[in-house]
Amino acid sequence: MMKRFRLNQQEIVFAVFALLFLVFSIFLNGFLTAENMLTLLQNVAVLGILGLAMAIVVIGRGIDISLIAALAVPPGLVLQMVQNGHSLPFSLLTAVLLTIAFGLVNGWLIAYAEVPSLFATLATGLLLAGLGQAALFQLDVVQWSAGMNGFERLGQGTILGIPTSIVMFAIACIVVAILLRQTRWGAYIYAIGDNPYAARVTGIPSRPIIVLQYVIAALIGCFAGLVMAASVNSMPTRVFNSTLIYDVILVVVLGGIGLSGGRGGVLNVIIGTLLIGTMLNGMTIMDMSYAGQNLIKGVVLLLAVITDSFLNPRNEETAQQGDI
Amino acid sequence: MKNFANPTRTALAVLAFTALAGPALAQQGLDEPFQKPFKEALTGKTVAYVPVAMNFDLTEGWYAGLKKELEPFGVKFVIRDANWNTNAGAQAVTSLISEKPAVMVVHNPDVQTYAKLLQRAENEGIYVIQINMGSAYRSSAFVGANWIEIGERDTEAVVKACEGKSNKIAIVQGALSAAASAYTLKGVENVLAKHPEIKVVSSQAADWDAAKAKAITQTVLKQNPDLCGIVGFWDGMDIGTAAAVKEAGLTGKVFLATSGGGERKGACELVKSGAFDLNLSYDVPTQAAQMAGTIKWLLSSGAKPGSIKGSEYTTLIPITKENADSQTSCWNLSDLKK
Amino acid sequence: MRDTITRLRYRYWPDHLLGEILSKRWTETAIPVILLLIVGFAFSRSIDNFLSPASLADTARQAGEIGFIALGLALVVIVGGIDLSVGSIFALTDFCALYLLDVAGWSVPAVVLATLLCGALLGAVNGILVGYLRLRAFITTLITLIIYRSAYDLLIQRYSNAIASAFPDIPSWDFIGAGSVLGIPTVALAYIVIAVFGHIFMTRLRPGWHITAIGGSRRSAYNSGIPVRRTIALCYVASGALTSIGALFFASRLGTVGGDIGVGLEVIVLTATVLGGITLGGGKGSVAKSAVGVLIVLLITNGLTTMNARGGVNRMALAGILLVAAMVDIRWQKNRTRIISKVYVAPTYHELPPPPPTEIGQGGPFEQNDKLRDVEAIGLGRIEAPEDVILDRHDNLYAGSRHGDIMRFLAPDYQKMEVFAHIGGQPLGMAFDREDNLYVCIGGMGLYRITPGGTVEKATDETNRSMRSVNDDSRLRLADDLDITDDGLIFFSEATVRYEMDEWPVDGLEARGNGRIICYDTKTGTTRTELRGLKFPNGICVASDGQSILFAETFGCSIKRYWFAGPKKGQVEVVMDNLPGYPDNINLASDGNYWLALVGMRSPSLDLAWKMPGFRRRMAKRVPVDEWLFPNINTGCVVKFNEQGKIVESFWDLHGENHPMITSMREHRGYLYLGGILNNRIGRYKLDNADPNFVQYDKRWGKQS
Repeated sequence: MMKRFRLNQQEIVFAVFALLFLVFSIFLNGFLTAENMLTLLQNVAVLGILGLAMAIVVIGRGIDISLIAALAVPPGLVLQMVQNGHSLPFSLLTAVLLTIAFGLVNGWLIAYAEVPSLFATLATGLLLAGLGQAALFQLDVVQWSAGMNGFERLGQGTILGIPTSIVMFAIACIVVAILLRQTRWGAYIYAIGDNPYAARVTGIPSRPIIVLQYVIAALIGCFAGLVMAASVNSMPTRVFNSTLIYDVILVVVLGGIGLSGGRGGVLNVIIGTLLIGTMLNGMTIMDMSYAGQNLIKGVVLLLAVITDSFLNPRNEETAQQGDI
Repeated sequence: MKNFANPTRTALAVLAFTALAGPALAQQGLDEPFQKPFKEALTGKTVAYVPVAMNFDLTEGWYAGLKKELEPFGVKFVIRDANWNTNAGAQAVTSLISEKPAVMVVHNPDVQTYAKLLQRAENEGIYVIQINMGSAYRSSAFVGANWIEIGERDTEAVVKACEGKSNKIAIVQGALSAAASAYTLKGVENVLAKHPEIKVVSSQAADWDAAKAKAITQTVLKQNPDLCGIVGFWDGMDIGTAAAVKEAGLTGKVFLATSGGGERKGACELVKSGAFDLNLSYDVPTQAAQMAGTIKWLLSSGAKPGSIKGSEYTTLIPITKENADSQTSCWNLSDLKK
Repeated sequence: MRDTITRLRYRYWPDHLLGEILSKRWTETAIPVILLLIVGFAFSRSIDNFLSPASLADTARQAGEIGFIALGLALVVIVGGIDLSVGSIFALTDFCALYLLDVAGWSVPAVVLATLLCGALLGAVNGILVGYLRLRAFITTLITLIIYRSAYDLLIQRYSNAIASAFPDIPSWDFIGAGSVLGIPTVALAYIVIAVFGHIFMTRLRPGWHITAIGGSRRSAYNSGIPVRRTIALCYVASGALTSIGALFFASRLGTVGGDIGVGLEVIVLTATVLGGITLGGGKGSVAKSAVGVLIVLLITNGLTTMNARGGVNRMALAGILLVAAMVDIRWQKNRTRIISKVYVAPTYHELPPPPPTEIGQGGPFEQNDKLRDVEAIGLGRIEAPEDVILDRHDNLYAGSRHGDIMRFLAPDYQKMEVFAHIGGQPLGMAFDREDNLYVCIGGMGLYRITPGGTVEKATDETNRSMRSVNDDSRLRLADDLDITDDGLIFFSEATVRYEMDEWPVDGLEARGNGRIICYDTKTGTTRTELRGLKFPNGICVASDGQSILFAETFGCSIKRYWFAGPKKGQVEVVMDNLPGYPDNINLASDGNYWLALVGMRSPSLDLAWKMPGFRRRMAKRVPVDEWLFPNINTGCVVKFNEQGKIVESFWDLHGENHPMITSMREHRGYLYLGGILNNRIGRYKLDNADPNFVQYDKRWGKQS
């Protein structure tokens, strides 16, 4: 008897990625070069870091729409404070404290006030972005200033020939992987995501762990923001208005981390990031228009999801209640 | 003689003469007949300002400039911040029509959304001034940059810089759907039509996003290391473009032309640092002053809203290394607010 | 004195209303509505003309457009999904309308139809993917959001100039966006029409219930045969079509295909939906919630914009209000049922004089004896809960059972038992009509008719709704006992309108007049309520005069007479009061007197507690249900009383062995048959001096000499 050939979504996405990669390598001049590979990775490094933050929350059966606010506002605050004459370490400390406070608010709302995570983070993201606009920044593009010099190495230049932002993504991957796989907290996050009620009755401190998830997610978001600011030498806080968050969710879900929680890990984020990165890079080389790129990106993603539904059918019996 | 000898009479006569001629002879002010109606025309009037969003150099600059010019005349200056939400902006304009301010200063998000509303506003007796982004409806006044000219001049500069080089250029557009971006692109095309030797290797929209601009530029530079110039559409976004150029170690080799409001940190300092080679500034304080002038003129003219229509295109200031240090090429928001 | 005050206080203060109001479904929407009122009030104080007709009309236009989209999203969320693509569908259908009108030059009706179709098609893509292919809604609509948006971007690149340069002057088109009828904008009118239909659809029509059921539990809905996939798919189609209606009004109002149209709309609509109280995950929501949510969000954003607030402040205020409202609302939703269970029980003052003695040696008509000790048991251990028993002229014995059946024991030995009819609810009182149809009161269902052939038909399950009642009392909750007059009027009692059948002892704890007597006319098929405010009306028997009925008020411990015809028509008169126990069924005896079952005996503790409503309320709030003080029903008796209300005879089972409780008795050919709702048998007691040919209904209908 042959074992039935089945792929899960993660493998499908990986197959799509491999296929695309192959096609681009053959037909696209200058795609398969070491330099282009590095560019490819570099271009999606920030997206990947955000994907890690989202992954932690999604594994714990939540979602964090406020990540972009965490990406934009605290790093923007660093740049603004330095511009206003504060020292870099002090500014960084303030930003980190702001981020932690923000994560705590998110976590408290979701874990203790029991507001659904989609709604809670939608609102807190709005709150933080509003705070930035109203009270923290003079202009929505916060410019680099002399006091920041040296800090741009976080996002520019290379370390041992590898662009720094890729190194940052790698570091973030390792940290998150250790957190999820090697620590008790990580195991708790999986348990809560798999079955929150069971996790609670078995004595897992689910509420503090949920708060922890959002604090870590916010911190990673802030880190991604710092990398991004360093890489473009400014903090365009207007990024909050963009649809970046949708890309982040796509990276996570496409990689195979189901929104119902309890499944997936860092590898899934890397796969999802690679798929998006390959597509964007290939289409940029082809000089395809932005809207055309999005259209093709959407269609490819849709095909991947449909393929998954055929290989791993869900029906009314297996569907989880409240799993949208 | 005797008569003359009477000092009392003489004194009286002199007094009487002086009394009569006195007012004519003393240093006298002249009443300017138009200033009072001017003041009356302005006092207590409301000017409403509808930017697509606050918190960025252009809209903050206009706001500060207008406020400084208008409030001393007793004009009530109100703001309706659409905050990047076109629907909210349309709603703000709609409710302003019911509120009936004297003047509306409108920053269109695109050419169509407000067009019908602005027409209605002028029919209802509100002067409409459009800034930087016009709509399909031509109102009492348009004050702003000529995007086609910006596209042309940026491209001309890039083409000039490319002479004797690879002639490969890239274009980093804004949002596809934004008219400012489309108009600028038209200007670019106008020039390229005259220079068939120039090859556009990439023309992509970065959606006004610095990070996207950087990603695109990085890829393009990896594919075309011999690129000689980039036309960018907005300095706030082209910080990313510049960062990509710098990382590729091509600063000075790739000519980067862009445009913006001319705020010191966003324009002059970046030109000085070599990030941009040319930044066409539409000089926000001057635009604000022109708008304020137009408002004063319209209010005091008593012309029926919509009966006269005109445009004031901004004189562009090209900021390059030569004038980046000058006090007048750029402006400071904090100074403007003072 | 204190008793008087207590009595007056409980007589005139409607304690029970709070619980009844809270248990209304619409109180789930209370928090959003209160928030809306606060927001509206605050802005009307701080902004001039905020509530002026012009300003309201402006808001209504925008609210109508977004309201349509919110309705669609509400539908999708209730069915257990989510539709993030609404903003992009909005943009595409807006483009569709303007392209067809300005560039293709179609007529306005054609444009309207085509736009709706376009929206429905775009929604159908989502519907097929989510409904039939069963993709996850969140990720799928996220992807279609991106696809639709990029399609829109590509389209406007080509056509936006053509559309921008056209200023079509078509009055009917302008009427859609800018017109108004009696000062109300067209869009608001259209919204109201569709919202009212939507409300009826969701609350009164089958497909609406299917949608809620699927959202509540997809698995159960599937297993109960609801077409889950098709219904889900159609919800997305509806969402697309409703979005296109919003887009149509928008297109007519502004005529724009600007780049930012519809960007971020999904967030606004989602915020409104959740804020209105529609739970993500499905199963809960209403049209009103959706409308309230939209109004709150728009009032806040527009109000703050008008107050010169900068975008950042506006965002913070909106977010802050959303969060506070969400927290309060979640607390409210979570604790609402808990609050209801605490305040629903509203005991009132009920005073009874000391009961007549029953102990042996004390004398009196109720003096205990052991006559029922030797009754014969029929169907012992085979029948459960025969509340009432009845016999036909062939001597077959009928009794209800806990399993929702009418059981028949066949004469003459009553050994053979069969299911006469299956009904599904607990049968209580029974009576035969002239055509030998068996009428049965079914707890929780109403009045049913069983033909001699065993066919079950519904007679009635509703009566006229009383306008002063908060609870909807048109449905019958606990039809208890009945009798049929010579003219074919069926009088039946409904013990309580505030509790379900299994909670009947709580009604006794409350001791409020919650019951009523209802008349069903077999000739016209109409049902109307005759008497209200009775304390657990129970047994009913048409009196010998044929003009009145006798009825028992169980917790009133009294028997009353109600004239439905004759000179005293409409009057109520006490026949017996201050019974020592709680009266249950009443039936005719062969000698012209009446049989009455006492289901349990009064106890001094409950008598005292009935005079202390505060004590009982505290008990209901603080003590678990199984510890409450309930009426005593573990002993009982049968008495015979005459037309004047005098007790003629009493029958006791002193040791409570055969009949620990008796809820009914029926005399038949010299025997008395005894039923009890907690018993597992039917008793048969040989009566001395009784007419050996007496068959109750044959005698009534004159079929027997």
